[in-house]
Amino acid sequence: MKILVVDDFSTMRRIVRNLLVELGFSNPLIQEADDGNAALTMLKANAFDMVVTDWNMPNMTGIELLQAIRAEPKLKGLPVLMVTAENNREQIIAAAQAGVNGYIVKPFTAITLKEKLDKIFERLAASGASA
Amino acid sequence: MTATMTAVLNDGLPAEVRALLDSTDGAAFEQALDSMVRQREQHLFRALGVLARDLHGAVCRLGSDLANEGVPESMTDARNYLAEVLDMSSKAAHRSLDFVDRMRPEAEALSANAVAVLDFNSSETDPAAVLARQAQVFANACAEGLNDMVLVQSWQDLAGQRVKKVVSFIESVESSLLELVRLTGALAGREAPVEVAKVASQDEVDRLLSEFGF
Repeated sequence: MKILVVDDFSTMRRIVRNLLVELGFSNPLIQEADDGNAALTMLKANAFDMVVTDWNMPNMTGIELLQAIRAEPKLKGLPVLMVTAENNREQIIAAAQAGVNGYIVKPFTAITLKEKLDKIFERLAASGASA
Repeated sequence: MTATMTAVLNDGLPAEVRALLDSTDGAAFEQALDSMVRQREQHLFRALGVLARDLHGAVCRLGSDLANEGVPESMTDARNYLAEVLDMSSKAAHRSLDFVDRMRPEAEALSANAVAVLDFNSSETDPAAVLARQAQVFANACAEGLNDMVLVQSWQDLAGQRVKKVVSFIESVESSLLELVRLTGALAGREAPVEVAKVASQDEVDRLLSEFGF
């Protein structure tokens, strides 16, 4: 599964990559982008299966990236998991309204990440089966 | 309004205002009013300029104070210092992650070797088997500890985000103050310099403040 990890902090990109590998995802298939703009360019150029993004980033934030993904016919069905320090109600609601598939508040554990990923895949499988 | 009432009201007013109200010359009235308003704006303008200069000076001084306290590289202002904090904490976090990357395979290998020994010799009393069992427990505890260590590094990102917010707050206060100086300067009859969308560099800030004599 090809995953794009988007965060302006290289530490966080490395941590998320580390956790994904620990959960059994293939390391070479994980790619990284340091803001929403870079991520969007990569998503348009190559097929990815999932995006794990931060909220606070320069140039293009995570919520703007999510909106751009949902507005792009080729990308709109892409699962997006938000991993962010933003935990106020309004922001969580905004992410939900923009069509986020999962929302994790930092700092988080590998178990939380696994739970959210499992839930995303369960829902996708269910919607795929009913379609 | 009766003459008595006007007199009562006028009593509480400064002499200049009383003179203005009593004046019958329309042009002189306008002129005097303009000059009073301009005087007030000048005060506001000066206060804002001093405030902007103080803030700018404090931001710069903080950096040089810290540099004098033995921080290795010379830094020009507080923003650079905060950027340095971010950089240092990021390097430290990466070094810890490097350590995890190095130790994880070691722990996995130790665990696999212990299993191989136990497959061959699962005695409860033989020292080699006892040691293999202990090695396995140790390797598993290490793997768990290393995972925790990875997660703990995410605090670098959280702390870093707060530092970034402080940097952008300082910048926004500074540029709002400068924008106020610019606008108030224009109101106070000085020519407004070309609008500076984002006053980021030290030079730009210094230039704008000195254009207004601060």
